[in-house]
Amino acid sequence: MTGDLLLVPFVAGLLVTGVLALAGAGLFLRGSVWQALALGQWAAAGGVLASVLHWPVLAVALLLGAGVMALLQRSADRERLPLAVFLAGLAAVTLLAANFSQASLAAAAWAEGQLYFTGPAELWAVAILGVASLILWPGLRRVWLYAQIAPDVSAAPPPAPWLRLVEIAWLVAAIVLGSMVLGLPAALATLLLPAWGAAHLAHNLRSLLLWALAIALAGFLIAWALSLPLDQPFAPVLVLVHTGLALLARLGVRAWV
Amino acid sequence: MSSANTILRARSACLGFERPVLGPLSLEVPAGARWALTGPNGIGKSLLLKAVTGQARVHGGQLELAPETRTSLLAQNHPRRQPWPLSGHDWFRAMGAQTPEQSRIRALMDQRLDRLSGGQWQLLRLAAALTNCKGLGPARRLILLDEPANHLDAEVRHDAIELIAALPGESTLLMTSHDDDFLRAAGVQDHPLAEYLHDR
Repeated sequence: MTGDLLLVPFVAGLLVTGVLALAGAGLFLRGSVWQALALGQWAAAGGVLASVLHWPVLAVALLLGAGVMALLQRSADRERLPLAVFLAGLAAVTLLAANFSQASLAAAAWAEGQLYFTGPAELWAVAILGVASLILWPGLRRVWLYAQIAPDVSAAPPPAPWLRLVEIAWLVAAIVLGSMVLGLPAALATLLLPAWGAAHLAHNLRSLLLWALAIALAGFLIAWALSLPLDQPFAPVLVLVHTGLALLARLGVRAWV
Repeated sequence: MSSANTILRARSACLGFERPVLGPLSLEVPAGARWALTGPNGIGKSLLLKAVTGQARVHGGQLELAPETRTSLLAQNHPRRQPWPLSGHDWFRAMGAQTPEQSRIRALMDQRLDRLSGGQWQLLRLAAALTNCKGLGPARRLILLDEPANHLDAEVRHDAIELIAALPGESTLLMTSHDDDFLRAAGVQDHPLAEYLHDR
């Protein structure tokens, strides 16, 4: 199917897809879709900037992504401010690409994705994030569930502040690594669309996660199977496949109910 | 707290969000009480409950809970997102609540929250608000219910009254309602809020 050359990209892509699906379920429950767009765009801006300055791409992307998330967390505005930050990130990438040839190449790489060129370093980073996701899952679930109860108030103690910080750091890492491996549009599609489709099929939090994982992984495998033999770029194919699967889930439920 | 038996005390408290809109208000709620704050719309009953949980601000005076008191609140409305892929079990887990014994509530536990009727959703929230904080002694619990009779249809109204009436005697209940029949059936005392307001 893949040959030795494509084994590392395939495994890295599969792993990061699983992590993004989990993150997408959390973002869906938190209603933080615009935050994800802004964060992803600034991670891309960080990657492009790093290419111009010859700095480590992952570190700069993580730093800018974390900065954006810290800014957005300070505001109760969940739509307009994240949208403005997203547009500013888009403008920053466009300006960098217009003025520096390296930036132009890097911007194209972030937009189209570099899955086929993913190496062992990215695979290790994604594998570590995958293991961290499994370890953090009980805490993440607690934070997401607790976020649902307002305006009601529980007498039970809220999740510890450090757990909330860990959730944000994990989310930043998932979106930045996902964007590096799959490309920004494909990472955002994997983040947002499977969870949206799963929300129509699931009957509780656990099945939301399982459906999101199943749709995301199915989308990755279908896109992989289509893009290679048809000699098409992977990222746009993945976006279209995820869109189709999410709509199918939505329409399937509507027909069934 | 002036009295060891007081779980909530307001002393010339002025409450509001951006600016004070209620008060000065002075009252003492004894531990184990079953109080219903009554009065016309807009007098500030809900605001007082929100100030107790920290959702509204105390602009002047004092509003104090007895040490180690844990508070839960059933808000007047809890709009549900569409879609909202959570079940009754998920809601109870989120609230840190015990699985209820009542068969009518247990029957709701596997259903999606966004597919419950308005009355079922209110009953489920009420049950979770009354039973949350597992392992905490009832004497340390202050339960705030803001218009719990809202949205309850005839089918679930009796279950809601049963839930309230079955609260352990040591836990304290402070609620608001315009529904006199509901208050009587639940066995709570009527306390007009206006009686606790005074001039500056």
